[in-house]
Amino acid sequence: MIDKSLNWLDDRLGFAKGGRSFLDKIFPDHWSFMLGEIALYSFVVLLGTGVFLSFFYVPSAHEIVYHGSYVPLRGQHVSEAYGSTVGLSFDVRSGLLMRQAHHWAADIFLGAIAVHMARVFFTGAFRKPREFNWIVGVLMLILGILNGFLGYSLPDDLVSGTGIRIAYSITESVPVVGSYLAFFLFGGNFPGSGVIIPRFFIIHVLIIPAILVGLLAAHLGLLVKQKHTQFAGRGKTEKNVVGSPMFPTFIAKTTGFLFMSTGVIFLLGGFAQINAIWQFGQYEPYQISYAVQPDWYMGWLDGAARIMPSWEWVGWGHTIPLEVFLPAAVFPGLIFAILMAWPFIESVHTKDHEYHNLLDRPRDRPKRTAAGAAMLTLLFGVFFASSTDVMANFFQLPLMDVLWFFRFFVPLAPFVAYFLTYKICNEMREAEGIGKRKHALVVERSAEGEYTTTESPVRPGDEHVELDAIPVPTFIDTSDPELATAAGVRRVIR
Amino acid sequence: MSDHTSGTGGPPATLDDPHLQPLAKNPKRMEALAALSMLVGMAGFVGFIVVYWVDASNEWEALTLGVGMLGLGVGVIAWGKYLMPQGPFVEERHDFHSTDDERSAFNAAVTGRGGLEVTRRKTLLGIFAVGGGLMTLALLIPGVRSLGPKPAKSEDNQGPTDVSLFTTNWKKGSKLVTVGGRPVQVDDLEVGGVLTVFPQGFEGSSPDQVILIRLAQLGPNDPPYPIAAPGRTEWGVQGYVAYSKLCTHLGCPVGLYQEKTQQLVCPCHQSIFDVNAGCIPQFGPAPRPLPQLPITVDPTGQMRANGSFDQAVGPGFWERP
Amino acid sequence: MTARTPRRAAARLAAPAALVGAVALVGLFAFSSGPAQADTTTTTTGPTPTPYGVGSAQPGSVQQTPTAVTAVPSPTAAAAATSPANETGIHYTDLPASFIAPGQALFAANCSSCHGNDARGKTNVAPNLQGLGAGTVDFWVSTGRMPLASTSTQATRKPPRFNRIQTLEIAAWVQSLTPGEGTQVPVVRTSTADLEAGNTLFTLNCAACHTISGAGDALAEGAYAPSLHLATPTQVVEAIRSGPGNMPRFGAGNITNTEARDISAYVTEVLQHPNNSGGVGLGGIGPVGEGFVGLLIGVGILMLVCFWIGDRT
Repeated sequence: MIDKSLNWLDDRLGFAKGGRSFLDKIFPDHWSFMLGEIALYSFVVLLGTGVFLSFFYVPSAHEIVYHGSYVPLRGQHVSEAYGSTVGLSFDVRSGLLMRQAHHWAADIFLGAIAVHMARVFFTGAFRKPREFNWIVGVLMLILGILNGFLGYSLPDDLVSGTGIRIAYSITESVPVVGSYLAFFLFGGNFPGSGVIIPRFFIIHVLIIPAILVGLLAAHLGLLVKQKHTQFAGRGKTEKNVVGSPMFPTFIAKTTGFLFMSTGVIFLLGGFAQINAIWQFGQYEPYQISYAVQPDWYMGWLDGAARIMPSWEWVGWGHTIPLEVFLPAAVFPGLIFAILMAWPFIESVHTKDHEYHNLLDRPRDRPKRTAAGAAMLTLLFGVFFASSTDVMANFFQLPLMDVLWFFRFFVPLAPFVAYFLTYKICNEMREAEGIGKRKHALVVERSAEGEYTTTESPVRPGDEHVELDAIPVPTFIDTSDPELATAAGVRRVIR
Repeated sequence: MSDHTSGTGGPPATLDDPHLQPLAKNPKRMEALAALSMLVGMAGFVGFIVVYWVDASNEWEALTLGVGMLGLGVGVIAWGKYLMPQGPFVEERHDFHSTDDERSAFNAAVTGRGGLEVTRRKTLLGIFAVGGGLMTLALLIPGVRSLGPKPAKSEDNQGPTDVSLFTTNWKKGSKLVTVGGRPVQVDDLEVGGVLTVFPQGFEGSSPDQVILIRLAQLGPNDPPYPIAAPGRTEWGVQGYVAYSKLCTHLGCPVGLYQEKTQQLVCPCHQSIFDVNAGCIPQFGPAPRPLPQLPITVDPTGQMRANGSFDQAVGPGFWERP
Repeated sequence: MTARTPRRAAARLAAPAALVGAVALVGLFAFSSGPAQADTTTTTTGPTPTPYGVGSAQPGSVQQTPTAVTAVPSPTAAAAATSPANETGIHYTDLPASFIAPGQALFAANCSSCHGNDARGKTNVAPNLQGLGAGTVDFWVSTGRMPLASTSTQATRKPPRFNRIQTLEIAAWVQSLTPGEGTQVPVVRTSTADLEAGNTLFTLNCAACHTISGAGDALAEGAYAPSLHLATPTQVVEAIRSGPGNMPRFGAGNITNTEARDISAYVTEVLQHPNNSGGVGLGGIGPVGEGFVGLLIGVGILMLVCFWIGDRT
């Protein structure tokens, strides 16, 4: 029956040969190779919940009077964008759950990209032939950050509206064309002619997701074509891949992971409140709240803006607000440029133009690992610098002291981090038996008083024989009915 | 996706091949556990339907949906990890790049026939290149230029605030009013009081937002409050001073006034302005003082502007002199 | 090496899972919003704060009921008898003359060491209290800020040392030094307050220092705007009128009595009982708490799942 159906399809599509090699595709099993899937599945949740939200959200700055269930807002003049978001939260069944799940999924999506990117970086998986995949990944990171910003700005609430004001000022800080860009984007001087919310909406819902889906397809397609990398080990070479077959094992594990990611996101969406916009109120450009930070993935830019000294360049009838332009435009531009160019920076520096399908242990490449640690320290520094006021309040420190601390920490700590990481890597490489399980030493004293040490016996169940990998069998001989039981054959002694 | 495994594969694997065995020591028990997990998942989804039907809170919705997803997920993962053939399996990586012959043939196709056109039809190619560039430009222009108005290029072009970063609606004689439209009288604020004001008729307009602060209780015949910035003492009146509320850093409203230290702190990035000295920035990223609005009191006690701002308000931009 | 049984997998995951769980617990406790404990010296004379907003009590949401209200005895009755009912919801009381003598005794025993026997203050030690009014004194003493814990940092709210009557006695004595001057003790009736107006007023006038959720935050020069989660309506109005510390002073020409009443109702009914329909409030400080939870718990748990599914090398 199945044979007939598959043949019917192959008559028309001719997929059998390619299909079999696809089903036999091998995925190595290391846990750190699954971090990208966290990002992938939170993206799926974003798409699903996003469609739901788009059925209720009204992308309009047009003023209405709020008449919904939230009493402290009743009678207030709010934009349709804000009113529809509050309405979605309180007056639509499971609306708040979907809204919060969407927002949590966005935070997790970018967090997963960050850890996935770190894994790829520290294991050297971006080397030839995977440089394109790395660049596609960095592009997805940039678009993800941008789309997150656009998304949480859509409700037009006090907190995100402040972020939009800041974005306007950053846009107009660009030399020569800044005021034009800002006026074109917003439709005039801030707050503009009311066009920014609908424009953000269409970019957030259509333009960037469409590009992201295309980049995702390229990312996964390259992965399928070039096959996944793997750590070195028994039976693993530059010329093979060892692990689980796509069908049924990997598909089962990854589908289960999809369910678990969705489950975690929905649990957060229902139990942990996020972006309670009804508490913030409608955005008005003359109102502000204290302790306002952007979402975590924008925090590094906010922190950079806070610690930047007030260096504005004025001359020959013009102004370049460097205190804005440098931390908000040049700094991220440099970071993303370095990230994107890194595979080539490294290959030029190491003069290594070979194919690499085996991964490095981070400690085996001290310079790269130290550089990555320095970059992470820099980014963590500016990230934490965005919550200076919250930290000063929480730890009861003077605000100025916290700010000065970060002014020194951010530029200096990366050097310290580089040095320390480099040293640690080299230490680890020289250490005996590192990474292997230690066995207890049994100390025995002979009658004469001599001490001898022997390694303790291996614990029962610890010893195992690793099987040599075989190619995925095409046909399975099911002729012996006794062997084909539901439980499978009793385990072979290992 | 072409993998160079043989078309029909090798000899069939036997069912007792260790690679085909499940990982679990006790597969039957593991299967029961996976089934239990999936049953919990099922219960979760049924629970969600019930919870949705009775319109319970989002905590209940999340709990049922989450339990459903996790139950199903754990079960499927357990199936895949512990019950499916444990492997390991291997596949070969074959060079996926083309052979040297294929490459030279491809390159020849590009450079050969293409090169023929390039050498034979140079002018035509050049004209097409320029035409294509112009086409791109022409198609992009509406998408950029039609979006919004051009900014006014200088202070000379004093258009409405919608198209000018240089002007506000404050003029000499503008009445100070609250956001609700209530005119501000000279007796309204106590010492240490602070109020957001607008020019009458433009309540709520972003570039016009001004913060009014009372530093001292002075009468009309008292000497004016001294502001430690040259020539600025006359810009205040009876202990009042008024500054643009738009932070010169990134445009946030500087609404945080510390009465004892007489400082305005911008809540966004903690720039600190000295109100006594013309709002000079004392700390933080703000580059310029908050522009001061000259104010006065008319004979009826109504507070009015005594002129417009002497410079553009808000953050810096290229055309700002 | 792969964990071959669920027991093994659990053992391998135990340490990282405990770490994530510990972080989750610490984060939830550190960031949990809402009143930590009810103010036991509440002076509300109005009704209990009305639950507002959506639907009935939901699992996981916090419905706060105030502790027993100790009604202010004679001052209210005396005030009600002497001044007409005020539609603005606030009227200012004159404290009974019988409070003055005990107030002087209390002041001499507890406050005069810094403020002097005549409450004129001492340079660089304590300010002059004359002319500030009973309401100002009531604010500082009823919030426990005075007597001061430490002179080097900003005074913090702490359990008040005196009960309500004693506090008013001290306030009455200080007021008697300069009769009629300064902020009076308000009696605030929030039952007819306009919460929507309070919302708008709070956002415009208060949120820039106290944050939109009333959580408070650090200011310049070592100062900070305190959290509003334990304030009573009386204390809110007293603070608005007297402008304690670095807080601006909002007189009746700036924020009218009706508006002050609306703000105090908004603070005590909405901000102190926030509609956290979405779940745990995570401290009411927005993305900082959310970032911690999203990364450490969200990504953390999913990384643990990766740990389970996959192998170590």
